[in-house]
Amino acid sequence: RANVLIIVLTEMRDKLRKWREDNHRNSEQIVDVGEELINEHASKLGDDIWIIYEQVMIAALDCSRDDLAWTCLQELKRQFPGSQRVKRLAGMRLEALEKYEDASKQYDSILQDDPTNTAARKRKISILKAQGKSAEAIRELNEYLEQFVGDQEAWHELSELYINEHDYGKAAFCLEELMMTNPHNHLYCEQYAEVKYTQGGLENLELSRKYFAQALKLNNRNMRALFGLYMSASHIAASPKVNATVKKANVKYATWATNQINRAYQVSYARCLL
Amino acid sequence: MGEVELSCLAYVKMYLHGCLFPRCSVNGLLLSSSPAGGAVCVTDCVPLLHSHLPLAPITQLGLTQVDVWCAQTQQRIVGYYQANACVSDNSPTPCALKIADKIAEQCNNAVLLMIDGGKMSPDYRVPPIVMYERKDTRWTLKDKHTIMLRQWEETREIANQLLDSGDHSLLVDFDSHLDDITRDWTNQKLNAKIAELASPANVCTWMSRVEK
Repeated sequence: RANVLIIVLTEMRDKLRKWREDNHRNSEQIVDVGEELINEHASKLGDDIWIIYEQVMIAALDCSRDDLAWTCLQELKRQFPGSQRVKRLAGMRLEALEKYEDASKQYDSILQDDPTNTAARKRKISILKAQGKSAEAIRELNEYLEQFVGDQEAWHELSELYINEHDYGKAAFCLEELMMTNPHNHLYCEQYAEVKYTQGGLENLELSRKYFAQALKLNNRNMRALFGLYMSASHIAASPKVNATVKKANVKYATWATNQINRAYQVSYARCLL
Repeated sequence: MGEVELSCLAYVKMYLHGCLFPRCSVNGLLLSSSPAGGAVCVTDCVPLLHSHLPLAPITQLGLTQVDVWCAQTQQRIVGYYQANACVSDNSPTPCALKIADKIAEQCNNAVLLMIDGGKMSPDYRVPPIVMYERKDTRWTLKDKHTIMLRQWEETREIANQLLDSGDHSLLVDFDSHLDDITRDWTNQKLNAKIAELASPANVCTWMSRVEK
């Protein structure tokens, strides 16, 4: 029976580790697995316990489980007194309780000791976002990126903020940065194509078609890219501004896309019937 | 001023859509199977997106596909709903207004519905929704007394039950469909579950609980 317990524990630990590594935000599941692990089997986790406390605490905040978050925080405070990393977690708890001023002060105190602490800076920007202060969040994030130009997560966050503000030109710029550093990521190509399509006009439509096609090259099962290719090619073909050659080519692309779409749905229906 | 009736099915799916993606803005289309003219009866809804709401391609695609489905099933698109990620602000965003305008071109008493995220607790006494209608060229707040949600308490119970049982994860929006096209954005499975819960037997059980 002890062996069964060990197997179960190992499974739970592995699950938590995988979710950590994949940066999954499946907070309810993390709380489920993590709470049991912490409450019943803390002694058997060795040094893993601390990173698990951190992971479970963040998930607990996400699920409004302040009781659980508080427990985890206390354990971490006890083990790592004065730690900046734990301070940041305390700040996140304040954010979850919507005590934004207190949270901001917490992050400011981290930055006083360590001005290069990127985590604290990003939390401050998250506060602005949570308060609906998009213009300020965008400004701060731009300043951050001037210093930390390689931070992919920040570039993507900025692209999302710009999209929400309907500033498609700047969103496109952020996605261009991401595509340059991640040339094999089909999602960035596809998002870029969507932004270009939204901007409209013949030139942007042609760009969008090219990037939908590129996304498909990288992942031929990206349905958004497939539909996007169909829609952009159709619009170009229907435009009075294009010559016969361009029209013909785009009709071909649109037709190809339609066939691929139909095939994909046929396969999916077949799978459903099984 | 036109009356609008919101069915249990439409409300529950909209509400669950918001619950399924609590960190995102979500939107969808409101449908009616009643003929045009007279009060607007919202009998169903199709959840659309939970990401990149302002971007055009997938929105256009969704609108087109729902249009086609409506023609096949004798329904009409009569409105649009949205829940903002930032719960402190439930005012319609520019893209909400744009899409609602488009719908109003085809349906002259179309409604724009914003879900008030700040009021979405399980025991809230009134539906957490704010409705707008088009007057001249602007979307204006509808008088609350022209909005009807029959059997609100039963509807709320159904939504809560589905949340508790985890069945809200059955809900498929258009975004999820594009991630996995075997998933059904018309939500036949979830519709059946809701219908089952709305059956008279279940309603009696709840009412007796509520009355205690």
